[in-house]
Amino acid sequence: MKKIFITTLSIAAISGTCILTSCGGGNKTDADNMVSDSTKVDTATAVKPSATSSTEMTYQIPSPKEMFVFIKQVASKNNKRTDVLNSPDNAKNYADAKSQALNFGIYSCDLTYCSIFEIGTDVLKYFKTVKQLGDAIGVSSSINPSMLKSLEKNMGNPDSLVEIADNLYFSSFETMQNSQQGATLALSVAGGYIEGLSIACGLVKYDKKSQAVERIADEKYTLDNIIDFMKKYESDAGVKETIAKLEDLRTTFNQVTEKQEGAVTVKEEKGGVKVLGGGSESQITEAQYKALSDKVASIRNSFIGK
Amino acid sequence: MKRIFFALVICLGLTINHAIAQASVCGDFHKKACYMEGTRKDKREFMYNAQSKSGLFAQGSTSKMRCVVYKGNDYRISVCCETIIGDKVNFKIYDARTNELLFDNTKNDNTQQFEFQASSTRQLIIEATVPAGDVKEEKGKAENAACVGLLIENKVSDRVGFSQY
Repeated sequence: MKKIFITTLSIAAISGTCILTSCGGGNKTDADNMVSDSTKVDTATAVKPSATSSTEMTYQIPSPKEMFVFIKQVASKNNKRTDVLNSPDNAKNYADAKSQALNFGIYSCDLTYCSIFEIGTDVLKYFKTVKQLGDAIGVSSSINPSMLKSLEKNMGNPDSLVEIADNLYFSSFETMQNSQQGATLALSVAGGYIEGLSIACGLVKYDKKSQAVERIADEKYTLDNIIDFMKKYESDAGVKETIAKLEDLRTTFNQVTEKQEGAVTVKEEKGGVKVLGGGSESQITEAQYKALSDKVASIRNSFIGK
Repeated sequence: MKRIFFALVICLGLTINHAIAQASVCGDFHKKACYMEGTRKDKREFMYNAQSKSGLFAQGSTSKMRCVVYKGNDYRISVCCETIIGDKVNFKIYDARTNELLFDNTKNDNTQQFEFQASSTRQLIIEATVPAGDVKEEKGKAENAACVGLLIENKVSDRVGFSQY
C-alpha cells in the first residue's frame, strides 16, 4: 500500500511539473536561444532592450505550404512531379510508432504539394494514406470522412483543395498537441519538414540568382526552430535519434555563406510600406546546394525506409 | 491511508483534465478574434500562416514566441486578447539573433497590427504582454486568465519597380 501511495504521489508531482511547462517549447533564456552558427552580426549600432530572460519561449514552425506557394510563384507553376513524393504503396511498411509519425508528416506534406500544384488524381490517394496513418497514430478524429467528400467535390477547384489539405494539416497537429502526444507531433513535424525540403530540392535546379534556391538555403532558420521545439520531447528515443539527424543537416546548412547587409532596420518606404531590412543574406554555391540536397535525400531515405 | 490514496487519485485525475482543458480552451481563438476590421475585405490575398498561435495567459504576464519570416514575403501580424478593458495587448518584435527591438506597439498608438515586407529571411521574437483586467467566466479557464491570439498572415510580395521585392 505504501508503495502505491509513493507511486501515486510521484505521478502527481510529475503531472504538476508537466502542467507548468505544457504550453511552451521550454524555458530557455535569450542567450540560449541565440543562433550559434558562424554568422557575424554587427551589433555596434543595435539598441538592446532585452526581453525578460525568465519568460517562456515557444518555437513556431511554418508549414510546407508556404515554401511550395513561394516556389510555385517564383520558379515554376508546372512542377507536377509525383516521382519526388513518397509512394502511397509504402504506407503498409510503417508498422512502428516512430515511422508512422514521421511518415504521417511526410504524406501530409505530399498531400499539400499535390493540392498546391493541382495534381488532382493524387490528392485523393494521398488523403487516403494520410487518413490511414492518422488512424494508426491516434488523430483519426481530426480527419473525418466529410473531408474526403469535400475533396472529391472540389477536384476542379485548386484553392479549395489547398484549404482542405491545410485544414487537415492544422487540425491533426492540433489534436496531437492537445492530447499530449508531444513526441508524435515532434516526429511528424520533422517528417513534414524533411519531405518539403526534399521536394523543393527535387524541383529546383541550381541557379546562382534563383530566388527559389535562396529560399531553400534559408530553410535553416526553420530548422533551428524545429530542433529547439523537438528538444522538449527528447526523452523519447525516436525523437532524440531524429534530432541527431537534423543536427547533422544543420551542420551542412551552416556551410552556406552569409553576406552581411548591415544592421537590422525597419524603414518606411513610399506608400507607407514598412520594410524589414539589413541582417544577412544566404549565398549558396552549387557545391553547397548539391551537398545540402544529398544530405536531405539521405535523411529522407532513412525516414521512408528506402 | 486509504482515504489519502483515493484523494490523491482524484486530485491527479482533476489536474490532468484541467491541463488538457487549458491546452485546448484557446485553440482557435486567433482565427475567431484576431481578424481586424477590414482585414477580411482586404483584396491582397494574405494567407493564414501556420506560425499563428493562441494561448491562455495569466493577466499581467508576458510570453515570447520565436518565428521565421522569409525574404520576398509581406507579413501582417495581428494580436488580440479577450479582456473587457479595450482588447489591448502590448507587443514587441525583436530580431532573434541580435535582440534588437524592431517594433513596439506602445510607441505606435497601441496598434494591434503590424504589417511589413521582409527583405531578408530572419527569426523574430514576438513578445506579448497581457494587461490586467476582468475576463468573462468560462468553463475550463482560470479566473485571472485570458486567451491571447497571435495571427500571422503572409503573401508573396509584389515585385514592382527596380526592386526584386
